[in-house]
Amino acid sequence: MTTATTPNQTQLLTTGQTGRAARARTRRPLRVSRVIYSALAIVIALGWVFPVYWMINSSLLPNRTLQSFIPTFFPVNGSLNNYANTLADGTFFSALGISLSVTLIAVFFCLLFAFLAAVAISRFRFKGRKSFVLAVLIVQMLPAEGLFIAQYKMVASVGLLNSVIGLSVIYTAAVVPFTIWMLRGFVAGIPADLEEAAMVDGLSRTQAFLRITFPLLAPGLVASGVFAFLQAWNEFTVALVLLPAEAMQTLPLWLRGFIQASATRETDWGQVMAASTLVAVPVIIFFLIVQGRMTSGLVSGAVKG
Amino acid sequence: MKRRYAALALGTAAALVLAGCSATTGNEGGNTGGSAEGQNITLWLMGGDTPDALRDYLKTEYKDATGGTLTIEEQGWGDALAKLTTSLPDAANTPDVVEIGNTWSPTFTNVGAFSDVSDLVPELGGDKLIQSFVEVGKVDGANYALPYYFGSRYNFYRKDIWAAAGKTVPTTLAEFDETVKSLRTDSQSGFYIGGSDWRNAISWIFANGGELAEKDGDKWVSTLSSENSQKGITQFAELFAGASLAPATEFDSTPWVNINNNEATGAPEAATIIAPGWAHWSIGDLAADPKDATKMVATWNDDVFGTFVLPGVDGGAAPVFAGGSNIAISAASKNQEGSRELLKIVFSPEYQTLLGENGLGPANLDYASALGDDQFAAALIESAASSKLTPAAPGWAAVEGAALLEEFFGKVSAGGDIKALSAEYDEKITALLN
Amino acid sequence: MSSTVATAPEKAAQKDRQVAKPRRRLPTPYLLLIPSVVILLIGMGYPLIWQTITSFQKFGLSQQFGQPAPFVGFENYLSLATNPDMWGVVVRSLVFMAVTAFITLAIGLLLAVLMTAVGKVVRLTLQISLLLAWAMPVVAAMTVWIWLFDRRRGVVNYLLDMIPGVEMNRFAWLENPFTFFMVACIIVVWMSVPFVAFSVYAGLTQVSDEVLEAAQLDGASAWQRLSFIIMPMIRPVIAIVLLLQLIWDLRVFTQITMLQDAGSRAAEFDLLGTYIYKLGAGSQDFGMASAVSIFVLLLTVAISWYYVRSLLKEDEQS
Repeated sequence: MTTATTPNQTQLLTTGQTGRAARARTRRPLRVSRVIYSALAIVIALGWVFPVYWMINSSLLPNRTLQSFIPTFFPVNGSLNNYANTLADGTFFSALGISLSVTLIAVFFCLLFAFLAAVAISRFRFKGRKSFVLAVLIVQMLPAEGLFIAQYKMVASVGLLNSVIGLSVIYTAAVVPFTIWMLRGFVAGIPADLEEAAMVDGLSRTQAFLRITFPLLAPGLVASGVFAFLQAWNEFTVALVLLPAEAMQTLPLWLRGFIQASATRETDWGQVMAASTLVAVPVIIFFLIVQGRMTSGLVSGAVKG
Repeated sequence: MKRRYAALALGTAAALVLAGCSATTGNEGGNTGGSAEGQNITLWLMGGDTPDALRDYLKTEYKDATGGTLTIEEQGWGDALAKLTTSLPDAANTPDVVEIGNTWSPTFTNVGAFSDVSDLVPELGGDKLIQSFVEVGKVDGANYALPYYFGSRYNFYRKDIWAAAGKTVPTTLAEFDETVKSLRTDSQSGFYIGGSDWRNAISWIFANGGELAEKDGDKWVSTLSSENSQKGITQFAELFAGASLAPATEFDSTPWVNINNNEATGAPEAATIIAPGWAHWSIGDLAADPKDATKMVATWNDDVFGTFVLPGVDGGAAPVFAGGSNIAISAASKNQEGSRELLKIVFSPEYQTLLGENGLGPANLDYASALGDDQFAAALIESAASSKLTPAAPGWAAVEGAALLEEFFGKVSAGGDIKALSAEYDEKITALLN
Repeated sequence: MSSTVATAPEKAAQKDRQVAKPRRRLPTPYLLLIPSVVILLIGMGYPLIWQTITSFQKFGLSQQFGQPAPFVGFENYLSLATNPDMWGVVVRSLVFMAVTAFITLAIGLLLAVLMTAVGKVVRLTLQISLLLAWAMPVVAAMTVWIWLFDRRRGVVNYLLDMIPGVEMNRFAWLENPFTFFMVACIIVVWMSVPFVAFSVYAGLTQVSDEVLEAAQLDGASAWQRLSFIIMPMIRPVIAIVLLLQLIWDLRVFTQITMLQDAGSRAAEFDLLGTYIYKLGAGSQDFGMASAVSIFVLLLTVAISWYYVRSLLKEDEQS
């Protein structure tokens, strides 16, 4: 695990020692228990990853094999045929493009707006601050399932139906409250003293912020960005009504349509699993890219909450 | 798959064209003498039932007739209600012509979602159109939604299994029930039907002279508790318990997978099923697809498989659920003339024939012969002749949307008290009907 | 940072600011809030207001098609309060929320502790497998799980059936509400544990090894170390992840609706999310759907009230 030592952490470490001097290294836990723990961890890891494995395994097997009542546990005679068939009509790539645009736009603006708001509420005292925090907390608790009529009316009235922008705006608004909430903890975790020290050194407030606070915040931004990304990437009820055109589909809609179309005849599990894998791959890539920063982001944000 | 791609390409092109046009034309809409010339319109089709060839035909003909572009958007059945609810009232974004489930027609016609097309009806086929579908699309004598195609259900059975058990095709509903019950084993349904499959289950209500709802004065009332309905529901519950191994909650199944031999066991899981006519393409002896050995194809085998229409209580054909779709023009559409032009193409002899040739029951019964003269066509026509639709109550789509009938039949199939359940659901359904 | 040389007047101005601390009077915080407030007003404000108004109206399909919507006061709320189906859904949702959130938290805690107790390679293996589960898009994950629990060809039934004495061949998991929600719970737990495990693990890594070892040398038992040193350190993390799980599990929608597609859409299989969707998109009763939404909003606020209050208090003190 990355240990980007933030001031926050250092502070915690010192307070954590409660005066008792750190003693010399003592013995590690017994070897036997360690082996048991490791075995347990491996078993859990395998169990947890099994559905993912099963998706990939099934996606490589021909439908004929999947029809059997005896599951095939390894794709020995596997092929990429299911992928070829799934991709053949090109709709996947158009949906991928739309999903990527909507999600990235939403994540970008969400992080930007939420960051500014988080700075405002954790660095300043001002009138209306408490109401804002409260509103942000509460607005995200509204269930989204009954909102589609209002959202449709609003987006249609400005002519943004079937557009990436319309959906991005709704997604940004939906994710911003949670992101403010999360970033607030990160910003608060970075002592204002640091900035002030830098300002004494001759930096303007903005400069101090950009050079001192911002780099320390990067992991927090990544961690919050991951949440925003996941929410926007997974959402489909709003997308369903705001993108009625067949040519405008996000990946969850595409996958759902694919499953439903398959189910009206007989579900072709091989192709459905290939399609699911394709939808999962961009997120997995994204996770692997940000993985290191995300975990350290969680570390620095965790204690403050 | 190709269809989707084509639709995508066309959709994009049309969207560009539309964007260019809507700014310049500013059509007034309505029947007030506008011209169809050059109107670009959008048609929503539900699911993949309309084959590619038919879609292409509509586009070409529409282009020839008006010079405009027809864009076809395919909507999934599952999410269609939410989309219709939001898009139809919105003049700027409404589809111009929509296919809707025939049972939803009353709901949308009653709120004024569709344009009055009464004046077109004689030209489109008049009395020759399948009347039960025309009826659900009418309000106060005016026509709003017209039939698009019908596809009522009939039975498929395993001749080999029936013959081995010494059974012959039944002539009455009671005989049918008894036969399929006797064919059930621990690993084989005599008659495979989901316990919540209300679209099929209501055939037993209809067959016994029952109704789902009746008009009492000017209010619709659910009538599951009526004497005849009770007879039918009881029969269905007994049939499900005695003949089917499907879960009580199964509602939208693909039963034909059960009548084919299973590759692992070499035996089918059902001796009999009820399914829409086009299921016959999926039923037969299974073999590797010569084009792609990883897939299986079914080849119909007359020695093993057969069809028959669900028999009525006193013989003849039982009134099964009349599956199918209606088609209507959105009242909010700015392209009324173009839309009417499209209806004329849909109801043209050529298109009606195409529907029939593709196994979809043509709206104009004069063209039913296009279905062919094989056993599938015969069974489809025979079952359709006595088929019956759900009540023309304004709130019917809400009843379906709330899944009340699935719920009701699911509980009945699970062994619940029929009388008490009927009373409970009568109350729930009546609350939504009006 | 020292490379920037500020001009004298600037420096003086900064000094002034330092001394006077006039932050309160600067419009800066308001400027910083503008983008968020605007996007929230656009994206959430209008729908929230529409929903609130609609919840006091009779608003059905005719109203959607242009008929005027009459105000009916609290009629929608009253009819909800007297509807046994509604209370069934509320109770079911609350139970599902509590059970799922606590199981998620318990497993997440255990996995986090496990991560600290194993070597690097094993830990990374566990973390990557959790990360993969976390990264799975919900629709894709649901599809796989439905396939795993398939009545005939699902691996779960196949494996269970191999246990001697267990007859699970063809067992329809989604047929009765109890096993349906069991499956739903397993899936939601599977999806949510990675977040909890990573967050708690992140918290645990902040507890210094030295302190723990010192405590151990002083004779503190494992339990004492856990309850007196570790728990107080990670309590804030636990509080927040628990709250988030509670909120998310109360409004779980996609998972339930997809399971319903594979199982049954009957009312016994509804939670609040699907109930609202069924009322609105299904029965076109938008007045009632809005009333339930507002009710759920209030319910969520009530559940999180303790946390919200302590957050606001802590805020005032800081």
